Amino acid sequence: MKKRQIISTAMAAAMAASLGLTAGAAADVAVNDLAYTGELEIMHYSTAEEAEGNGGSDGFRTTLAAWKEAHPEITVNENVLANAEYKTQIATLAAADDLPDVFLLQGMNTIDWAEQGLVYDLTDTIKASPYYDNYNQAYFTPFTYNDSIYGYPVLTGGTCTVVIYDKAMWAEAGYDTFPGTWEEVEKASEYFNEQGIYTIAFGNGGKWQANSDFLSTLGNRYTGGDWFISLIEKSGAAFTDEAFVKALTEMQRLFTETSIFNEDFNVVTNEDAREYYISGSAAAFIGGNWDESYIAATLGGTDEVEGTDPEKFANIGFAVLPQPADATEAPNSQNIGLGYAVAINSKVAEDPDKLAAAIDLAQELTGPAFSSFVAENYALGGLTMVDEVDLSSFDQITQDFYNWSYVDTEPCEIYDSYLTNAVWDVLNTDLQTMLNGEITPQEVAENAQAAYEANY
Amino acid sequence: MLTTIKPKGKTIFLYLLIPVAMFVFTVFVPLVTAFVYSFFEWKGGPQKTFNGLENYITLLHDNTFWKAFGHNIYLVVACIIGQIGIAFVLVMMVNSKLVRFKTIHRTFGFFPSTISAVCLGLIWNMIYHNQYGIINWFLRAIGRSDLCQVWLNNTKLVMLLVTIPLIWQYIGYYMVIILSAIASIDTDIFESAELDGANGFQKALHITLPLIKNTMLVCVTLCIAGNMKAFDNIYVMTKGGPGTASMVMAMYGYQVSFNQSNMGYGSCISVAIFVLSLLVIGGTRGLIGRLTREKEA
Repeated sequence: MKKRQIISTAMAAAMAASLGLTAGAAADVAVNDLAYTGELEIMHYSTAEEAEGNGGSDGFRTTLAAWKEAHPEITVNENVLANAEYKTQIATLAAADDLPDVFLLQGMNTIDWAEQGLVYDLTDTIKASPYYDNYNQAYFTPFTYNDSIYGYPVLTGGTCTVVIYDKAMWAEAGYDTFPGTWEEVEKASEYFNEQGIYTIAFGNGGKWQANSDFLSTLGNRYTGGDWFISLIEKSGAAFTDEAFVKALTEMQRLFTETSIFNEDFNVVTNEDAREYYISGSAAAFIGGNWDESYIAATLGGTDEVEGTDPEKFANIGFAVLPQPADATEAPNSQNIGLGYAVAINSKVAEDPDKLAAAIDLAQELTGPAFSSFVAENYALGGLTMVDEVDLSSFDQITQDFYNWSYVDTEPCEIYDSYLTNAVWDVLNTDLQTMLNGEITPQEVAENAQAAYEANY
Repeated sequence: MLTTIKPKGKTIFLYLLIPVAMFVFTVFVPLVTAFVYSFFEWKGGPQKTFNGLENYITLLHDNTFWKAFGHNIYLVVACIIGQIGIAFVLVMMVNSKLVRFKTIHRTFGFFPSTISAVCLGLIWNMIYHNQYGIINWFLRAIGRSDLCQVWLNNTKLVMLLVTIPLIWQYIGYYMVIILSAIASIDTDIFESAELDGANGFQKALHITLPLIKNTMLVCVTLCIAGNMKAFDNIYVMTKGGPGTASMVMAMYGYQVSFNQSNMGYGSCISVAIFVLSLLVIGGTRGLIGRLTREKEA
């Protein structure tokens, strides 16, 4: 394939104007000669609304627009849905064997869909990619099954469990940094309760948050990383193992026996809970990187918009989940990874030219053009590593979050990027009941294990 | 019979062709295919494995499903009493000579049923909200903040709390049906009853109700059918939670099909919803029929 590098400067002005972004926001995709002319479908969930303030979505849209610009002979038919609708729609299309040409594959669907022959095996293509040496290999794990890789991990590698806290409020309570143990947090909650402030805001109204944004990291503190790998590989670990049950027990205790969290945590969503933090009703908040970008964008917006609060913005601090007293593993860990990958419908392979175009698109959406864009504009990382990220042009909070995410903490796996959603749906539903104190951790573990044995 | 204006069989057939074809395609075909799929293990995708009655055996032992069925029955009973019962009382009041601005009452009564269930769920979420909701605000205002709670997280109350918006929404709908039925009753009957000294309550119970019996039966059938497939406002308000405390059958079917990618078992649940709904409707109609016949005899 002949290659020529084109810097799409015209794109810069257009994108910055249309999206209201930082000046100079453009993506330099490699323009490879493609034989294919015609239509190419892509389905994703980076909506225009989502792209405001969310680096990954913005980068995805910008790179896709640049690729379209570079390949006018190919008509890209985009189907963009919000994430929740996307999940339902893509599951329906998979069931009907009618997946779009290019789409985003969620880690936990990899095995099911690969076994059904719905997704194209990209192993050789990925190994032949010009960017292969710069790929962060660990990101491929959720999309690998029987040594075959089924997707290019996409969007930005972000944490799913970060404690965002207000340094000033915690200083008033007598803490210079966020406490490293739950015992200390419990002690601090006495102070905050007197003030009528929630110590930590959390929202599990959607049922998945307690798993993705809490248990996945808390569990790792009890079981260590090998346990989950063993669960993925089916080499002996079980949900009913003592260490995991201990993690569930501690989780139930924290939510039912202490007054650390907002009492409506099981009803409100993460979107509601982060507003408690923004409005000052909570001294800290636990959520994912998407919540961090929202909070930072809301408090730190430069315009005179409602909600902007430069002082509160400057006081944002980041911490890992505190360590439980009886946990013995990785106290500095946080679950980070890429939950989705660009995958290709296996039917596309019937037309080799179309397949080459789809592969080129997948490669560029996750390649250096995307990574440079998100690094330069948002201080975020993607699949392709960028050599040096110059953080000096960013505000302190962005720099802090970059260092917290990629440098100062230890990564662990995001549970629901793996296994199958049949297991997580059962566990998530039970977790909500468990956090109300109406089912025991042992029962939750047994139900999850039964679902695991039946479906994985 | 006016044979001159009676259309030809062919004309009737052609007029009916499009709606019947649409009905067959959107209702009958999915029903039959769901029935076929319910005999397969199908985790989405092109591969399906025939597994006989296994899904149905699983269904019989699936506590969550039967709990959800119980919740649907709760909804049906609460809504027959709440929606049709209150609608009947309101119609009697609106029809009374003492009430003015009857059209306004009718219009505003019908108004909630024009709002989409999703918006309605969101509105009632705000009413129940722990911090900003009007219920907790009122309790605090009257000095009973000890009664404030996270309403939708109360496992014991949550079914009642998600039923209230449903009742509120459809009162107007049944009001319109009952009003039109009452309008067809000859006013002479009421006048002679009044001359005989019957009061409003007696007129409602002994004249109106027996005369609109068939309409009421239609209302009950609609109410059961509607509540056996309840989904949208509960999905918005609680997603069936906390845990499965407000889970209904349709939502469980959705969850199994799309969240757990278990299309075969999801189809089995859909077939079960259909069969159970028919049984409940049939049973209720039979019961009402028997009760009224005994009365007449």
